[in-house]
Amino acid sequence: MSPPDPYLLLDLGLAATILVLALAALRQRDSFTMAVVFILFGLLVALAWVRLDAPDVALAEAAIGAGVTGALLLRTLRHVGGERRDPAPVPRVVAGMLGLSVAGFATLGGLALMATPRHGTGLIPAVAARMDQSGVEHPVTAVLLNFRAYDTLLEVVVVLAAVMAVWAIDRTIDRAAAPLPYLPGVALRGPIAGAYLRLVLPALALIGAYLVWIGAYSPGGAFQGGAVLAAAGVLSALARGGRWPRTAATMPLLRGSLVLGVVVFTGVGIWAAVAGGGVLHYPPAQAKPLILLIEASVALSIAATLTALFLGHMPQPAARIALRKGTTNDT
Amino acid sequence: MTPETIYGATGIALFAIGLYHALVLPSALRRIVALNVASVGAGFVMVIAAWRPGGGADPVPHALVITGIVVLVAATAVALALVRALHDADTTETDDTP
Amino acid sequence: MIPQIDLAAIDWMLVPVLAPLLGAIAGFVLPRAATAAGMAGLGLSAVGSAAITAQVRTGAAPSTAIGGWEPPLGIVLAADGLTAAFLLLTVVLTLAIGTTRALTPAPARGAAIFWPLMLLLVAGLNGAFLSTDIFNIYVTLEVAALAAVGLAVLTGSAAALRAALNYLLAGMLGGVLILLGIGLLFHAHGRLDLAGLAAVAGSAPSDGIALIAIIAGLALKAALFPLHAWLPAAHSNAQAPVSALLSALVLKAPLYVALRLWVGVLDPATASGTVLGVMGAGAILWGSVQALRAERLKLLVAYSTVAQVGLISLAFGLSAANPAAIAWTGAVTLMLAHGLAKAAMFMAAGRIVEEVGHDRIAELDRSPRRPTLAQFSFALAAISLIGLPPTLGFAGKWQLMEGAVRADAWIWLAMAMAGTLLSVGYLSRVLVGFLRFDRVRGAVGEHQGWTLADGPPLLLAVTAFGAGLFATHIIALLAAGAPLGQLPGAMQ
Repeated sequence: MSPPDPYLLLDLGLAATILVLALAALRQRDSFTMAVVFILFGLLVALAWVRLDAPDVALAEAAIGAGVTGALLLRTLRHVGGERRDPAPVPRVVAGMLGLSVAGFATLGGLALMATPRHGTGLIPAVAARMDQSGVEHPVTAVLLNFRAYDTLLEVVVVLAAVMAVWAIDRTIDRAAAPLPYLPGVALRGPIAGAYLRLVLPALALIGAYLVWIGAYSPGGAFQGGAVLAAAGVLSALARGGRWPRTAATMPLLRGSLVLGVVVFTGVGIWAAVAGGGVLHYPPAQAKPLILLIEASVALSIAATLTALFLGHMPQPAARIALRKGTTNDT
Repeated sequence: MTPETIYGATGIALFAIGLYHALVLPSALRRIVALNVASVGAGFVMVIAAWRPGGGADPVPHALVITGIVVLVAATAVALALVRALHDADTTETDDTP
Repeated sequence: MIPQIDLAAIDWMLVPVLAPLLGAIAGFVLPRAATAAGMAGLGLSAVGSAAITAQVRTGAAPSTAIGGWEPPLGIVLAADGLTAAFLLLTVVLTLAIGTTRALTPAPARGAAIFWPLMLLLVAGLNGAFLSTDIFNIYVTLEVAALAAVGLAVLTGSAAALRAALNYLLAGMLGGVLILLGIGLLFHAHGRLDLAGLAAVAGSAPSDGIALIAIIAGLALKAALFPLHAWLPAAHSNAQAPVSALLSALVLKAPLYVALRLWVGVLDPATASGTVLGVMGAGAILWGSVQALRAERLKLLVAYSTVAQVGLISLAFGLSAANPAAIAWTGAVTLMLAHGLAKAAMFMAAGRIVEEVGHDRIAELDRSPRRPTLAQFSFALAAISLIGLPPTLGFAGKWQLMEGAVRADAWIWLAMAMAGTLLSVGYLSRVLVGFLRFDRVRGAVGEHQGWTLADGPPLLLAVTAFGAGLFATHIIALLAAGAPLGQLPGAMQ
């Protein structure tokens, strides 16, 4: 027996904290505290994933899983002013039976996972053997943007589908009867906030762009960078009380930004097919610039998309908004 | 005991916690959070599958988890938009057919 | 001089995914041209699907490694007879539904966003039908799921919003279960391609739990009893063309994936087949009883979907539990027949609501208006759903029952018969009302309540009714590439 690894104690502590935070978030009475605990949970999960040599995933979890989801939760709580309980909760007997079956499933799953040896090599050699043809130096980016680029294209499509669905939902609401809430508590207004924004927005833009660019060499990439850019988008929207700019150009510009990633990604894919390689089969010599082009446009689209998902409503013509100015969502 | 067993068990436990609460919690917003917890559990299993003791993890599961995170945030955003819309509909309409 | 294009050299495999995707984007960016972009996307996708089917019929077994990366690293799209059948079902249904939508004179609420959402849905479904990579299939199903939720809310009622939320939460839960299963499979086998997994599935201790998670997730997305609670409200509260899409097509994707896994990857144990059979029997009884009690036409049709998914599940279970039964083609034929008939029924129901102003079954026979063609379409589709000869439903049930007889599986046979009788019961509630219209018919010369939009449901109903005559061709197409050839008992 070798002496116990001191890191293992750290691991045990981290794992236990993660589990406690998950339970605390779900069983917490106060909705706002729940959202905050959930964000903390996501950040600690990211820490665990750094420990497990998954820095890209950790970045994505911290920026998107904790950050964006947390912002969406807080924004929704602000809108609805607390949770609404279902009129007919699950009966205790049913809940007990469900609990038992889930516990049984988890026990079997846990034991089976422990009893199963991890596959020896996974796809490590397959990726390593093809890295020189991938056009990038970072393996995760090579997988996302080249070896399994089709998955990533569809992933960007999922996000686009989400915006369309959210806008379809927005259309169902009679805005004359239920005006947009002003997001009063989080609106960034006044001279101090203005100075803060002038400082923070360029910094966020720079960090986001850096994350996208560095993705070719080390952890980072379009989704993490796009999430940081989205933070800039959300902050500048909050400076307007959580509304889109009221110009006539907003809607066409926004629609263009939302689809840019899919258009460039598909365009490059089809261009590669016409050039003779097959869909998404980049010529190795041009792979790097093509991947950077795709990443930059996907990052912009992700930023626009996440901002649109946060605001949750379509840009409206200036005349219609003016009628509703100053309204709040008291119920 | 290795990091693999510790975090593998954590992943399965998180999945079970999320699954159970997604089935029984009495508020839609809570169920959405519970689904996010369960998804993190599934992410742990993939990160464990990628991990190698000496370093040099498998990049493919990492890419899958990143995709999974983005897909889930998209679905979460739609679900939360529905929660907000239902709130607005209930505050403006007196009643509707169940 | 027209440049020569070698049609055979074109790689069609991604066309059914990328064409609707580009149509969706064009319709989203240019809302005024949404209908044109949508129909163009559907049309191009239809050309791609037809080309792939033609290749399959010649025995070419088309496949493409995207980006040139072979599995286990890359993703391969491939087509066999089963793929072709579902691509064609998607073509027929989406063209019919799209045409109805384009012909409807006064655009309903959310007209512009309908098209991009529907085209993304088609891209996701076609992607799932063509993919041979388990994770890629997960992503395609999520594309379809989010687009379907966006479509389901278009009526704008609070009931539709509530139903859509439950629909989405069920879909998300299904997705998370599938993700866990994929994680466990990758942990044990280090790969994601179905062909590679087929060779090793069952060899690791965690495979059982992984496949239970994936099948449970798919069952949730397919509304298999007792995981069906979200379906009736979601399908009955949507606009009629959307209900048709959701019930006839969207449910088929998880069933299709489950069939692929069941036949191609799993080592189906007898016990799991029996479980599916019991779930199917439960769905038949529950769905039928609820359909018998339903007061509204669309809700009745939605509950009938629960029962029909049960019948399909029964066919799955029979084939898995009794290797001698070989009822797989019966299950697939039933899925196709249900797709055609159910789309016709929902669209006809939508036309009846448009003309009569409501869909309360008890009062349908007291309306002075008489949407004759819609009623006729509904009746034809109902006959196919019940499975009278010569309909496609009959062909499917015949194969199912023949399989049950061959395997001496009398209980399964009894369940299929009971499902048929119950469907006669709940559908005749509606049809009897239609026949009694004459008692209170309006004055002569009054508008008879039919428009151009009656065409597509009628066409679909006629197809569902008459396709049984071509059942041998359909079964021959299904056999191309032997997708269902790797039967239990005759393992590869």
